[in-house]
Amino acid sequence: MTRLSFTRRIGIRNRILITFGTGATILSIVLATTTYGITKANLLDQRESTSINQAYINAQRVQRDLIREPSHFAAALEQLGSSDRLLLFDKAWSRSSPLFGPTQLPPQLQNRVLDDKVATRMIIDFRNSHSLLIGIPLPQIDASYFELNSLTEIENTLSSVRLALLLSAFITMVIGVSLGVIASRRVVRPLANAARAAREISDGRLDTRLEPSDDPDLQALSTAFNEMVATLQSRVERDARFTSDVSHELRSPLMTLSASIEVMNSRRDELAPRSQEALDLLVGDVIRFRGLVEDLLEISRFDAGAIKLLREDLNLEEFLRQAVRVSSLPNTEIVCEPSVSGVVIRGDKRRLARVIANLIDNARLHSTGNATIFITPPDSIASNSLFAANRNTVWVIVQDNGEGLIEGEYEKIFERFSRGGIAGSRSASEGAGLGLALAREHVTLHGGRIWAERRRDGLTGARFVIELAVESRPAVAL
Amino acid sequence: MGTRVLTVEDDERIRASVRLALEDEGWIVDEAATGEEAFEVFRRVQSDVVLIDIMLPGIDGFELCRNIRRISDVPVIMVTARVDTHDVVAGLEAGADDYLTKPFAPKELSARIRALLRRVRPSAPGHSRLVFGNLEIIPDEGKVLLDKQELQLTKTEFRLLCELAHDPDGVFSRGVLLDKVWGYGYFGDGRLVDVHIRRLRLKVEVDPADPQHVVTVRGLGYRLQS
Repeated sequence: MTRLSFTRRIGIRNRILITFGTGATILSIVLATTTYGITKANLLDQRESTSINQAYINAQRVQRDLIREPSHFAAALEQLGSSDRLLLFDKAWSRSSPLFGPTQLPPQLQNRVLDDKVATRMIIDFRNSHSLLIGIPLPQIDASYFELNSLTEIENTLSSVRLALLLSAFITMVIGVSLGVIASRRVVRPLANAARAAREISDGRLDTRLEPSDDPDLQALSTAFNEMVATLQSRVERDARFTSDVSHELRSPLMTLSASIEVMNSRRDELAPRSQEALDLLVGDVIRFRGLVEDLLEISRFDAGAIKLLREDLNLEEFLRQAVRVSSLPNTEIVCEPSVSGVVIRGDKRRLARVIANLIDNARLHSTGNATIFITPPDSIASNSLFAANRNTVWVIVQDNGEGLIEGEYEKIFERFSRGGIAGSRSASEGAGLGLALAREHVTLHGGRIWAERRRDGLTGARFVIELAVESRPAVAL
Repeated sequence: MGTRVLTVEDDERIRASVRLALEDEGWIVDEAATGEEAFEVFRRVQSDVVLIDIMLPGIDGFELCRNIRRISDVPVIMVTARVDTHDVVAGLEAGADDYLTKPFAPKELSARIRALLRRVRPSAPGHSRLVFGNLEIIPDEGKVLLDKQELQLTKTEFRLLCELAHDPDGVFSRGVLLDKVWGYGYFGDGRLVDVHIRRLRLKVEVDPADPQHVVTVRGLGYRLQS
């Protein structure tokens, strides 16, 4: 479990990066070490065999000279050159250089050469560097020949090789990490594309598709993704079209109905009392039916993304007075705080008037039949004050004195055809159930927010807060 | 003779119910189911108002409206499906004076018809002839002259021009013009004014792109000047 969350925290990109980096490092270390080892062994072998060969040749020469002229044993070494050589002949040491003497010979080498008469080689430290010491017994003349060959040259070569290998290991590592970065990007890019496409789709752009890929693995993903979106799109569009088609089809009979009802209503006095009663019911429901069809049409246009706002500058207070006048409670009181008096908003006045009308309808249906509208600056102590505080906004509050809302259902009432959330039972025929959903769509399209909450003054009742961006404020009068 | 209304609508039941409602207002109603039929009826009878549904089989409402405009300045009301599509503007550009969206209440329709049939408000004494440079308006005769040439304005264009001329150099907001010319309140559609101003300019301006008479006052409205 912890492992899972750990790997998840690292993320696929970093995991790829780590894998590539580690892989490249291990690979380069192994390669460098092996190369170095092999090179070192080869160089040493070569050097040893040439040195030994040369030493034998030299020893043979010394032996030949001494057999011919035993008294010139010092000269026998000299004619070989100025290398470090030692000769034990006739119990006496002769040396070719003053620095290299018998004391420098390790005892086990002396034993092997002098006592066991076996040719021996050995690497010793001489004057702070490695040297190859070769001892060859010359039994014919009862002598021993020693030769010291410096390995400094090889060590220099090896150190340059080491440097080169270290450098190449480092470069390999860097290349590995870079490849990791590229690879992780390449791997993540289709994922990021898919994520972006998914986000666009959820934002409503249903025609978004993933670019087809040449990669057979990715193609499976993009094909499946695109098929899913296509199915989703056709389903969403079919649903939206269905609602729209139904509402359009309903408009024609509705047109006939409302015209005929009006004709009948103008002759209401000629009807018998029972017929009048029936006619009144009919008139009321035709009006409601019209509202419902208009709401359905509007909401299907929202779903199809076909709404275009006809925005203009509106003096908020003046607009609200006009909106209230054409609502179902034309005498609703409007209270405007002086600090927001005269603010101008930019909106589609007929759509915003629908929002106000819907909220007033809601108040009429769910309270004792009156509402009050407040225009206030955004409340900085409101729970969702973050949004309010850093934007130039204004609140329009429609407050009623009904039973209020059931706790926990303040959001539910904005759902389509939602009937829950309102305390106290109401007749099922009241309200179409689309008013608040439409109000929310309209306000959102205006870039604002709408929510419901309890009254702040302790009395029962609900208040609906609409938050809208302020376009301009009036200049302060002097 | 009473007011004659021609309704053009392909749905027979809607046509019948609208006829009943309009006859209740005391008007004489002529009916047509297609654009072709409507044009024929229109040429035969003297209609005072024409109501056209945009969605017609055969020639559509826009085309019919343009055909009628070629021979008459009669007020035309379009019936459109939606408020926010370009149908409204296209209808107004085709020459309609006003529009309604379906489904409308017949009371709305009769209110709109009455508003369009209102007469130009009588000119003040001494204002029987208003002159704005090369533009001359004679309200009582319903005549407009540009460089002494009589112009063909629709009734609504003429009323709009007379409203603007009523207070020379005064600025009229869209809201005021909507109220005075169309009888709309606060929630009237400002596009009605804008499209009519555009149409008016095509007729009364020498160069409609650079209006000299009907000028826009930014952020306030429109004004008529010499």
